Amino acid sequence: MIGGGTNVTAIVVFVAFVSLSLFITWWAAKKTHSAGEFYTAGGKITGFQNGLALAGDFMSAATFLGLTGLAFIGGADAMLYTVAITVSWAFILFAFADRMRNLGRYTFADVVAFRLQPERMRVLAAAGTLTVAIPYLIAQMVGAGSLIETLFNIPYLGAVLIVGTLMTIYVVFGGMLATTWVQVTKAVLLLAGGTVLLVLVLSKFGFSIDSLFRSASDAHPRGKGIFQPGVLYSDPISVVSLGLAFICGTAGLPHVLMRFFTVPDARQARRSIGYAVVIIGYFQAAIMIVGIGAIALLIGQPEYVDDAGRISGGVNMVSIYLSRLVGGEIFFGLIAAVAFATILAVVAGILLSASAAVAHDFYARVIRKGDISDDAEVRVSRIATVIIGAIAIGMSVLFKNVNVAVLSTIALAIAASVNFPAIFLALFWRGLTTRGAVAGGVTGLVVVIVLVVLSPTVWVNVLGNKVAIFPYAYPTLFSVAAAFAVTILVSVADNSARAQIDRAAYSAQLVRSETGENS
Amino acid sequence: MGGETELLKDPEFQRLLVRRSRWRWGLSGLLIGAYLVWGIGGIYFAEAYAAPFMGIALPWGMAVGFLIIAMSIVLSMVYVRVVNRLEADEALEQDKHR
Repeated sequence: MIGGGTNVTAIVVFVAFVSLSLFITWWAAKKTHSAGEFYTAGGKITGFQNGLALAGDFMSAATFLGLTGLAFIGGADAMLYTVAITVSWAFILFAFADRMRNLGRYTFADVVAFRLQPERMRVLAAAGTLTVAIPYLIAQMVGAGSLIETLFNIPYLGAVLIVGTLMTIYVVFGGMLATTWVQVTKAVLLLAGGTVLLVLVLSKFGFSIDSLFRSASDAHPRGKGIFQPGVLYSDPISVVSLGLAFICGTAGLPHVLMRFFTVPDARQARRSIGYAVVIIGYFQAAIMIVGIGAIALLIGQPEYVDDAGRISGGVNMVSIYLSRLVGGEIFFGLIAAVAFATILAVVAGILLSASAAVAHDFYARVIRKGDISDDAEVRVSRIATVIIGAIAIGMSVLFKNVNVAVLSTIALAIAASVNFPAIFLALFWRGLTTRGAVAGGVTGLVVVIVLVVLSPTVWVNVLGNKVAIFPYAYPTLFSVAAAFAVTILVSVADNSARAQIDRAAYSAQLVRSETGENS
Repeated sequence: MGGETELLKDPEFQRLLVRRSRWRWGLSGLLIGAYLVWGIGGIYFAEAYAAPFMGIALPWGMAVGFLIIAMSIVLSMVYVRVVNRLEADEALEQDKHR
C-alpha cells in the first residue's frame, strides 16, 4: 500500500466482492442456456436493475478516479466533462432508447442490419465493436494493473491476470445475467462509497458550500483562477469536439447499446436509461464537489502533493488519497476495493459485447448465414470469450506502458465516428443505403486513426515531435463530420438495386421501431 | 408490405410520430444547446464565470453547470413519464378498436 503495509479492509472487502460475484456467476450459469439468455439475460432484467447496470457500465475507474483527478488539476474546467457526460445520457434516452429496443435482439448490429444488406452491415458492426472494445479493454486493464500494483502491492502481471481471469469466468459461465448482477452490485457499492466520501468531504467544511469553495481557492496557488474556464481547453472547437465525443461516443459504445436488449420492451428501455441519467447525473455532480474538496484538503499535504502541486502516483490517486484523509484507513481500504471492483465489472461487460460481435454477428450471421443451432452459437460465444479474454490479457502485459488516455480517446472516437453515424442514420433517415453506411464507417475509422496519430497526444507526447500537425486532443468533430458527410453523399449518389430495397424498407422499419410490433 | 404502409397513412399514427419526434428533438436540442452555449461562453466570459454566485463562493459558471445536470435529470424523468404514458394510452385505444 501507499506508505507500506497492507490494508486489511481493502483485502477483506475485495475478497468479499469477488466471492459474491463468483456466487452470482454460479447462480446465473444455471439459468443461462440459450443464445438469448447468454447475450441479453433473456430480456428479463427490470428497468431499475438495468438502469443501475447501465450507470455501472459507464462509471468505470476512468470516470470515478479520472474525473476527480481532472477536477483537482483543472478546477472549473472539469465541469465541461461532467456536464457533457450527463447530457449525453439524456440524449441517448431521447433519441435511441425506444427505437433501438424495438428493432434489435442481441446487438446493435441487429438494428443497422434491419433494412440494409445484412451481411455487409454485420461485418461493419462487428469491426466497429472490436475496434472499440479491444482498445477499451486494454486501457481499462492497463489502468487497473497499475492501480492495483500501487494499492494492493500485487505485481502488475498478477493484477492483470486476476482481472482478466475473473472477467472471463463471469462472461463464459454466467453470460449477460452474471455480467448484469456483478455490474449492479458494483454500481451500488460505488454509489454508496462515493456518497459517503461526498458527505465526509462536506463535513470537513461544516456542510457549507461557501466554505468549501472558499477553502479551495485559498489553498490553490492560482487562487480564484481555478474557477475560470480555460486551463484544459481554450477554444470553441474543443468544446464542441469534446461534447460530440461524449454524446456520439457514448451512444456508439457496443456494451452500452447491448444493454437496451436486456429489458422486455421499449417502455422498460426508456425507464432503464431514465434511471441511468439520474444516477450518472448525481454521480457527476458529486465528483465535482469531491474534486473541489480535494483541492482544498490535499494541497499543502506533503505526503500526497509535492511543492509543484503534483500528486504522487498520478492524478488517478486523488480520490483514493482523499478518502484516506477524510475517512481513515478503513474507509480508504473500502474505496480502494470498490475501485478494483469497478474495473472488474466494466471489463466483463466490454468482453461480452466483443464476444457477441464475433460469435453472433460475424460467425453465426455472416459465415454460417444464420444456419446454426442455438447450442452451437452459445458454444462459439464461450470460445470467443476465452480467446478475446486471452488476447486482452496478453496485450495488456505487452503494452504495460501504453498511454491509457490515448487508448480511451481512440475507443470513444471510433464509437462516435463508426458506430454512431450508422445507427443514427439507419434509425432516422430513409435515404441511407448499405453502400453509404459502409463508406461512411470506413471513413470514420481512417479519419480517427490518422487524426489521433497527428494530434498532440501521439505526435508530440509519444513520437516526440515538437508541434502537432493536428492541434486538438479530440478528433471527434472532424471524424464524425467526415463520416456523416461521406455516408450521406454516397447514399444519395447510390443508384444500385440494393439501394432501392434499402430505402423502400424504411417504412416497415419505422412502424416496427415506433410500435415494437411485427408488421 | 401492405400493413405498415396503411398504418403510415393513418392520421392517428402520423400524429403519434409527430408528437414523439417533438419530444425527442425538442429535449435533445434544449440540453445539447445548453451545453454548447454554456461551454463556449466560458471561453469568452471566463471572469464572469468565476464570479461568486449569489453571495457565496460557488462560482457562477459551475452553478450553471450544476443546473444543466439537474435539468438533464428532471427532463429525463418527465420524458419517461410522458412518453410511457402516451404509449400506454395508445395501447388502450388500440384495444378498444379491436
